[in-house]
Amino acid sequence: MVAPYASAHNLMIRKLESIVALSDEEKQALQSLPIQLAALKTDQDIVCVGDRPSQCFMLVEGFTCVYKLTSEGKRQIVAFHVPGDMPDLHSLHLEVMDISMATVTPCTLGFIPHEALRRLCEGYPRIAAALWRETLVDASIFREWMTGIGRRESYNRMAHLLCEFWMRLRAVGLTQGHSFTLPVTQVELADAIGASTVHVNRVFQELRTNGLIRTTGAQVNIPDWEKLKEAADFDPLYLHLRQDDE
Amino acid sequence: MSRTLTLQPVRVATNYDDDGMLVFNGHQRLVAVLTHLSEQNEVAPGQWYLEAGFGHLGGISHPTFADLEAAQDWICQRLDEYA
Repeated sequence: MVAPYASAHNLMIRKLESIVALSDEEKQALQSLPIQLAALKTDQDIVCVGDRPSQCFMLVEGFTCVYKLTSEGKRQIVAFHVPGDMPDLHSLHLEVMDISMATVTPCTLGFIPHEALRRLCEGYPRIAAALWRETLVDASIFREWMTGIGRRESYNRMAHLLCEFWMRLRAVGLTQGHSFTLPVTQVELADAIGASTVHVNRVFQELRTNGLIRTTGAQVNIPDWEKLKEAADFDPLYLHLRQDDE
Repeated sequence: MSRTLTLQPVRVATNYDDDGMLVFNGHQRLVAVLTHLSEQNEVAPGQWYLEAGFGHLGGISHPTFADLEAAQDWICQRLDEYA
């Protein structure tokens, strides 16, 4: 079943158009990309260390994470991805996966063969540059997380992660004002900020007590964006989003 | 080294779970601080949490334990590994 759904293509076009103004011809080339949709359940591996993928995926719906396991089996989550992202784009050039990716929620993924992406990049250099830029932004996010894990307190790190989620989700139209759905468990948040779940739970309670967030189930509301940003030491520059208005 | 731990009750200013234990090794050196998580804790109600570890327990692991016995087993095992 190849590319029966227009939505995956539209999402990709929307994402790329936030980076570069696309010509009709470029849009047409993107529309004709073969995208194979797949529905995955929560906590399923998509690609693993050592794999040699022959395709990349675009996240159409849901949340995924990038993680590595230590030899003791401890997991470090090094990134989360949101709809519109292409988390394993680097597999186009690095043939063996050095990191694993898994679903955090039920997800719809759009798989695109490497061959088709290579042809697209060869024929449309501006699209190739936009995709290259995507991997550079991913690297920028890794650097920001590394700074947080090494030098920020867990309270600030969690606030930072919430700021990042809000901005990235807003860029793809998945926020309602200053509210968004965060279907990520405290275990996953702990693995992402490098703390224990007990500690993450305390941090969440502290953020709520201090009025920085309100939560109802998986819904997170940010009553005072400036205050959360300040607590997080958050500068959105590293996300390199084009619409910087808040 | 095993089973030479001594415990001393203490109050810990975590803002959440105040009851704790100082854990000393056989040389009366402080090796860990455990806190007893309240029954209202959302993650591990009623369990003991390695709030802080020192020396060989000072790494990034902060496990929870069903009871004090299990906590002491883990601490002894860790200390024995480095004895």
